[in-house]
Amino acid sequence: MSDHRTKTAHPIPAAAGIGLRSPHIQRVLAERPVIPWLEVHSENFFAAGGVMLQVAEQLRVDYPLSFHGVGLSLGSADALDVRHLSILRGLVHRFEPGFVSDHICWGAIGGVHSNDLLPMPCTEDALDLMVERVQQVQDALGREFLVENVSSYLQFHDAPMSEWEFVAELVRRSGCGLLLDINNVYVNSINHGFDALTYLHAMPGRAVRELHLAGFTRKELAMPLLIDTHSAPVDAQVWALYAEAVRLFGAKPTLIEWDQDIPELEVLLAEASRAQAIADDCLAIPA
Amino acid sequence: MTASPSLLELQSGFFDAIFGRSNAIERWVDGAGLEPAARLRIYRNAVASTQIEALRSAYPAALALVGEDFFDAAATRFRLRHPSTSGNLQDFGKAFPEFLANMPEAGALDYLADVARLDWLRQESALAADVAPLDGNAMHTTLAANPARLWLSLHPSLRLLSSQYAALAIWQYSQAPTSTGLKLDGSGQRVIVWRAGQQVAMAELDAASFVFVEALADHSDIDSAHMLALAADNDFDLAACLRSLIAQDLISAYCTGDNTDAIRNQACY
Repeated sequence: MSDHRTKTAHPIPAAAGIGLRSPHIQRVLAERPVIPWLEVHSENFFAAGGVMLQVAEQLRVDYPLSFHGVGLSLGSADALDVRHLSILRGLVHRFEPGFVSDHICWGAIGGVHSNDLLPMPCTEDALDLMVERVQQVQDALGREFLVENVSSYLQFHDAPMSEWEFVAELVRRSGCGLLLDINNVYVNSINHGFDALTYLHAMPGRAVRELHLAGFTRKELAMPLLIDTHSAPVDAQVWALYAEAVRLFGAKPTLIEWDQDIPELEVLLAEASRAQAIADDCLAIPA
Repeated sequence: MTASPSLLELQSGFFDAIFGRSNAIERWVDGAGLEPAARLRIYRNAVASTQIEALRSAYPAALALVGEDFFDAAATRFRLRHPSTSGNLQDFGKAFPEFLANMPEAGALDYLADVARLDWLRQESALAADVAPLDGNAMHTTLAANPARLWLSLHPSLRLLSSQYAALAIWQYSQAPTSTGLKLDGSGQRVIVWRAGQQVAMAELDAASFVFVEALADHSDIDSAHMLALAADNDFDLAACLRSLIAQDLISAYCTGDNTDAIRNQACY
């Protein structure tokens, strides 16, 4: 396996940042508020030219940047989208982000895209494929890639592994970094009925590079399902789980995501401050 | 129960379910307290909503003209007929104007497809490559040497639309309607779309200028393009047209060629 220790001009600090979305871009550029780091969606910068690439050039002057993808569809059974990967590689070479990531999921088959993060069956075949794909991506980018656990609303019959076993094994075998989404662990623990702490304790601590936090909504069906809408404040249970993650893995770059019904920038920054305070608290040396 | 499906079979079956073709995949979904169909429906709705939202964002004028209900119904039908083929949603929906043109329910709005085409050209223009502006002085020196043939490269963000409707006026009205309404005289509009600084700009062109720019975009040399423009309008003012193109940084490079074998012996700047 090749060595993917990452050299970057803009390392991401072990502090709480925010996902930067279009309603806040102009304000952040104009006011340059103090934010330890920013994460953007890679695909928003998939352009030959124009305003978004200028935005990235300006942001990287003052902020460490993380490029977080939603469209690579790593787990497609038929083929990896090499065109998508090649555009991503161009961006990564140009902007040298501190992190580059996408999801443990699939979204396309036969060249048709759902543009969604669909769940992988936790089988040996699916794991083998994901390991191969992550290695292919790391080789193409020439650096460490992070994979993120997704929220899901169904599981498949006959899956021999738990999701946490699948995630841990993928990270161990492919040598990639882990972007652990605490909200997604909690959402899945409710949707599929497992203990979220079991999941956290199974994670390979040394590979955890980044933590995600976001809000969900509740859908009342025959049994309640949590939907990962990124449209609300972080839930109390998720804050508690985050504290546990900090105790387990230490201080990690942590990100507040908010993608629908996006509030004022201050609300996101307040959520980031709260994450920072929880992390500081967990790691404070008792007097 | 038959053997477990392969990953490919599972994913194909999942797509059949979320695109409404077959529910055969349900038997491989663990309901765990819910109907498998209810769990699949969450994905089906989420995928539809994401793709419809992408079309709304790419087609703001079409959306404003037909309203949300009609737009969403058209988008719902479109995305099943012309599925997304990219992990980047900005690529999704190029065929939507054509789809609207052939949609019987939109027949009364005969201008709708052209206004939607303008929406898409604006998005293409916004995402097109950057190029360094041309050195105008160097070009004047080259022109003074009177080369036999001269080709101009236009800025990558430049797009053209010729409409038998007032597509530009309707587009602008859809984004900023006024209480006095929009008065149209029934004539069509020829529209040029480009990126001015970082903003997408649009303007109406006269017939001859449109023909001229279209010919340049089609890699005609200046003389041939000029001839076509004069055929459209004997009063076409070549110098004025070139001046406005240069003033908007729309000429990004030029090539000259000699008499004998112009195309092979091009020199580009």
